[in-house]
Amino acid sequence: MASNATHYNNLKPAQPLDKQTLNKMVLRSFNLQASFNYERMQAAGWLYCILPGLEKIHADNKEDLKLSMEHNLEFFNTHPFLVTFVMGIVLSLEQQKADINTIRSVRVAAMGPLGGIGDAIFWFTLVPITAGITANMAIGGSVAGPIIFLLIFNAVQFAIRFFLMGWSYKLGSQAIEIMTANAREFTRAASMLGVFVVGALTSNMGGTTISLEIPNGESPIVIQSILDGVLPKMIPLALTLLLYFLMKKKNWKPVQCIVLLIVIGIVGGFIGIF
Amino acid sequence: MQFNAIQIILVAIWAFIVGIDQFDFLESLYQPIVTGAVIGAILGDLQAGLIVGGTYQLMTIGNMPVGGAQPPNPVIGGVMSAVFAVASGLETEQAVALAIPFALMGQYFVTLLFTAMAPMMSAADKVAEKGDTKGIVRLNYMAMGILGAAFAVVCVMGLMGGSALGTALQAFADQYGWFMDGLGAAGGMMRFVGFATLLRIMLSNDLWGFYLAGFTIAVVMDSIEATAKSTLLLTAFVGFAIAMYDFQTRVAIKQNAGSGNGGDEDGI
Repeated sequence: MASNATHYNNLKPAQPLDKQTLNKMVLRSFNLQASFNYERMQAAGWLYCILPGLEKIHADNKEDLKLSMEHNLEFFNTHPFLVTFVMGIVLSLEQQKADINTIRSVRVAAMGPLGGIGDAIFWFTLVPITAGITANMAIGGSVAGPIIFLLIFNAVQFAIRFFLMGWSYKLGSQAIEIMTANAREFTRAASMLGVFVVGALTSNMGGTTISLEIPNGESPIVIQSILDGVLPKMIPLALTLLLYFLMKKKNWKPVQCIVLLIVIGIVGGFIGIF
Repeated sequence: MQFNAIQIILVAIWAFIVGIDQFDFLESLYQPIVTGAVIGAILGDLQAGLIVGGTYQLMTIGNMPVGGAQPPNPVIGGVMSAVFAVASGLETEQAVALAIPFALMGQYFVTLLFTAMAPMMSAADKVAEKGDTKGIVRLNYMAMGILGAAFAVVCVMGLMGGSALGTALQAFADQYGWFMDGLGAAGGMMRFVGFATLLRIMLSNDLWGFYLAGFTIAVVMDSIEATAKSTLLLTAFVGFAIAMYDFQTRVAIKQNAGSGNGGDEDGI
């Protein structure tokens, strides 16, 4: 369970990360989804990716390293090919020992929008074009097909990953002066944006619907469309608020919430709700 | 058609690699165009592998892992359709059809693993509390190993059992579909735990309105076809405008207030 500390113990900015450490983290970023799961998605993979940097930044204070590891294990999901953009910004904030709430909020605000951009670049553009052309070469019996596909796809992928890391780390480091002069105001504004994005995620990533129908002759009553009439995405919103309530007021642990959801899912699957 | 031990081992190794590659590594080795050629080469008919891989690739172009949804698993689909095309000399479409029960198994396995890894996050929390960096690294490599091993097993089963096993798997899937549907639904709901955890920390009471505002704007964007794909980006723009305005206003207020009492900002 994440602790509620809001500051690192050692507030003295660490040495800027060297090129070698940044590159090491870019290489780790390929395995962002190693421990992907339905609760926190890429969270543990994200922590794995930025660990080399965190270890350098918090080398002089083990407690700060623990704090940093804990809050970087919270829900995380972004486009895997663009993750180094979020890494650069978050690492620059970590290096400057920014307020933990600020780091969290910036992380959430940065990860959300990248999903759509990455899908557009890679899955809707790069893959259809390169795979479309090279698939026809392969069907014609040419080994060059798969080889060219791999070369083009990975050249773009490597270039984007390395470029975004360097660029966003620099960007974050430059923005920090404006930020630290008005740290409290910045934390509040970042939290607003972060909470706003979590609200958007609730709708955008929340796909839970029910397929329950009440037989009614020719036109069965579809429960989901009644719910949609009251409030679209009502189930994702209600579940998020319920789980928030259980954790905040009843001190439930995430693992208890997960067990509850598995029970709901399987019982619901058995009686045909989902 | 019989396969020798070396071929089976090589297929298992490739299935292990691409099982992981579908989410990690280069995220491109698993594409049918590559996998078809590799399996074809292993089984001794590169040409057939290239053709089935290329054909399957064209079929899947509209079927990418967009936005975290799980499409019929292209990894096992790619491996098994190449196996059937090479071994039985089937047309690509028929080979792909025979591969589908195995692809379904792969998809089920991914669902199970992603569900099982959710409670593991509590273990990860404990590892982080101790500041055990190696523990986090191990956890990630372990999950990758399990994923790869499962895909290797399913593909070797397919290689040995052939299309008869596929029929049996299909019957199994039809019978126990409700269980996987339920687990899939539970999986889809688990992200709300992640959101709630973030909110638990981020929401001081005066920010509730922003949560609901972000939700509302995303609901609107999601329901309009033209904006649905960019919902999160567009919503973030709106959120950014509000946050920026708040930041500038509060800084201005602070500076005005500060100028009255001797300028304690001078040192910055």
